[in-house]
Amino acid sequence: MKRRNFLKFSAAAGITPKRCLLPFASDLFSFSNESNLSKVEARYYKKLPDREIECQLCPRFCKLGDKERGYCGVRENMGGTYYTLVYGKACAVHVDPIEKKPLFHFLPKTTALSIATAGCNVNCKFCQNWEISQVRPEQITHIDLPPESVVKTAQKNNCPSIAYTYSEPVIFFEYMYDTSLEARKKGIKNVVITGAHVNPEPFKDLLEVVDGVKIDLKAFNQDFYTKYVRGKLQPVLDAVVTASKSQVWLEIVYLVIPTLNDTPSEIRQMCRWIKNEIGPDVPLHFSRFYPNYLMKNLPPTPISTLEILRNTALEEGLNYVYIGNIPAHEAENTYCPHCGKIIVNRTGYLIGKINIENGRCVFCGQEIPGFWS
Amino acid sequence: MSKVIIVRTKNISKSNKEINSEKLNNLYKRGFHLLTGFKDSKNSIKTLLSTDKKTGIKINTIGGRSLSTRPKVSLFLADHLIKGGFQEKDILIWDRTNRELRSAGYRLNMNQGGIKIFGTDSNTIGYDKDLTVHRSIGSRFSSIQSDIISQSISLAILKDHGLAGITAGMKNYFGSIHNPNKYHDYNCNPFVADLFDTAAIRGKHKLTVIDALTVQFHKGPAYHSLWTENYGGLIMSTDPVAADYIGWQVIEELRKKHGLPSLKEENREPLYIKTAEELGLGSADPANISIIKEEI
Repeated sequence: MKRRNFLKFSAAAGITPKRCLLPFASDLFSFSNESNLSKVEARYYKKLPDREIECQLCPRFCKLGDKERGYCGVRENMGGTYYTLVYGKACAVHVDPIEKKPLFHFLPKTTALSIATAGCNVNCKFCQNWEISQVRPEQITHIDLPPESVVKTAQKNNCPSIAYTYSEPVIFFEYMYDTSLEARKKGIKNVVITGAHVNPEPFKDLLEVVDGVKIDLKAFNQDFYTKYVRGKLQPVLDAVVTASKSQVWLEIVYLVIPTLNDTPSEIRQMCRWIKNEIGPDVPLHFSRFYPNYLMKNLPPTPISTLEILRNTALEEGLNYVYIGNIPAHEAENTYCPHCGKIIVNRTGYLIGKINIENGRCVFCGQEIPGFWS
Repeated sequence: MSKVIIVRTKNISKSNKEINSEKLNNLYKRGFHLLTGFKDSKNSIKTLLSTDKKTGIKINTIGGRSLSTRPKVSLFLADHLIKGGFQEKDILIWDRTNRELRSAGYRLNMNQGGIKIFGTDSNTIGYDKDLTVHRSIGSRFSSIQSDIISQSISLAILKDHGLAGITAGMKNYFGSIHNPNKYHDYNCNPFVADLFDTAAIRGKHKLTVIDALTVQFHKGPAYHSLWTENYGGLIMSTDPVAADYIGWQVIEELRKKHGLPSLKEENREPLYIKTAEELGLGSADPANISIIKEEI
C-alpha cells in the first residue's frame, strides 16, 4: 500500500496516528515568556571553583561559567548552581500509538501519552523534530505540565504508558524521572525514546523507574557520530548493553540514510555486535530516512536498501527485524522465529489480531519476548 | 593592509562604576579620526557607513550589569552616528533578549522615533522561519540581523572565554542566531568564522568596535572582579578579523602581566580567528595589520 493510499485508508477507518493535545512548534518563534522557564536544580553536575560547574549528565561534560547554558540549551549555570529550565514545561503533548515510537513488543495496540520539552544534547543533521529539539525553551510555546498533571492527562486519555520522546528526554532528565515515579504510583508504565547519549550513572538511575527504552543507534562508527550527530558512539553502545541487562524492555532503531550509514558490511558488523552483546531477541527496526533539517540533499531511503539490510540482520541470526516508515510493508509484522507465522499483523498503526498468549506464539508455543500485557 | 585603532585613556571608569562621559566621547572622536583620517564626525562616519540605511549596533549583554556593553558606550556610539548624518530612527541597538538588555541597564524603546533598543524576543520580531545553512552553520537568524537592518556594527565586550579562547567582535554575532549553544565545540572553530561568513553578517558588517574599557582577561565570559583590568580602551577597525586578532593580543598581554599562562598553553587558542582569515574575512597576520595606538 502506498503511503498516500494508506493515509486515506487510515482516515476512512477512523485511525489517526496521534491525537494532538499540544501541537509542537505550532507557534514557533513567537516567544514564550522567558520568566516562565523553570528554575529547578539539576541533578548530575559538579560545582567547581569560581562559580563554574561541570554537567555530568551526558558525555559532553559541559564546563560552564556563570550565566552559561549547556550544549542542550535547557540547563543553565546561575551563580554556580546548575538549573534545568524545562522542568514541567512540555512543548509537545500527544496521544500516540505505542507503535509510533516504535515499540513493537511493548503493550501493542495501546496508546502512550507522549511528551517532550525543547532541547537536545546532540545535533543530528537529519533530525526529524529539529523545530523543538534544536531550539531553546524560550523560543517555542510550552505549557505548564508538572509530573502529576502528566499522569492525570495519561489517565484521562486511557493511556497505559507515558512516552518521553520527540526531542531528547535525557536533557529533561529531572522532569522525566519525577514523572515516571508519579506514573508508577498510578500503575502507568514509562517508556523512553532516546539517542542514549548519556552517562552511565544517570542512565542506570533512569532504568530503575521506567519500563521500556527505545534507543536510536544512528550508525556503527564514530566518524558518522562526529560528522552528522556531533556526539560519541561508545557511550550509546554502553547504554544499549546496560539497558539490555536491566529489567527494562529494549528495542533498537537504526535510521538508514542513503550513502552515509547503509553499507551491508557495517550493518552486518553491527548485527553481530548486537547478537553477541545483547542476544538475538532484541527487536531491531530499520527506519526509512526522509530529507529534513540540514540533510535535504539526499533522497528517501530506497525500499530495496531497507530490505537488503533486513535480510542481512536476519542472516546474522536476529529474530525480530522490522522495517519502519513504510506503512503496510510486510516487514512491519512480527513473525514467529520458530514457525514463521505472523503473530502480530501491522499496517502502519492499524494493529490486527495478536497471536500471542501468555508470551507465546499461539501456533507453536514459541516464547516471544516482550512486554505484552 | 588592515588598520586597527586602539585608543585608551586613564581613569575612564572603575569596574561597574559610571563611565566618564567626556573621556568616552573623546575616545570615540579620536578613534574615528584615526580610523578614517577625518576629524569631523560627518566625514568620518560617511567613510564607514551609509547614513541613510537602517543600522544595527549589536551589543553583548549576556554578562549582566557587571560585564556587558554598557548603555553609555552604545549610546555614545549612536550619538557619533547621528552627528555623522544618521537619523535616530535608523539606529537600532540590540541583543538576544529584552531581559538581558534590561539587566545590563538599557531602557527599551520600540517606538518609531528615537534610537530603537530591543531584543530579538520582542513581540513581532523573533527569528527567521527558514534556516540559513552555510558551511558548518545551520541556524535561524534574528530577523533584526536578516531583515530589519541593512548594515551592522559589532560593539562587543572584550573577554576571555573558557571555550572560545576570547570573545570579541566576531563571536558577538552568536547572539544573532537561535542556537549558539551548538557551536562551542572545538574552541568554537570553525563556527565563529563560518557564521560570520554568512550573507546576513558578512554582507552587512561594516565596523567592529571592541569595548575594552574593562577587560575580563581570565575565567570569562562570566564576570570575576579578580581577573578584570581597567584597560580604558576602544579597539576599532573595519577589518573584523584584525580587530579580533588585536583583541586577542590584548588579552594575552594582560594574562602575561598577571602571571597567567597563554591561551595556547591552556589549549584554547582562538583558532577561529585564523580560520576567518582563511575564509577571506580579514587579516590575522600581524605583518598585514597596521596598529595605531594612542593614549589620550
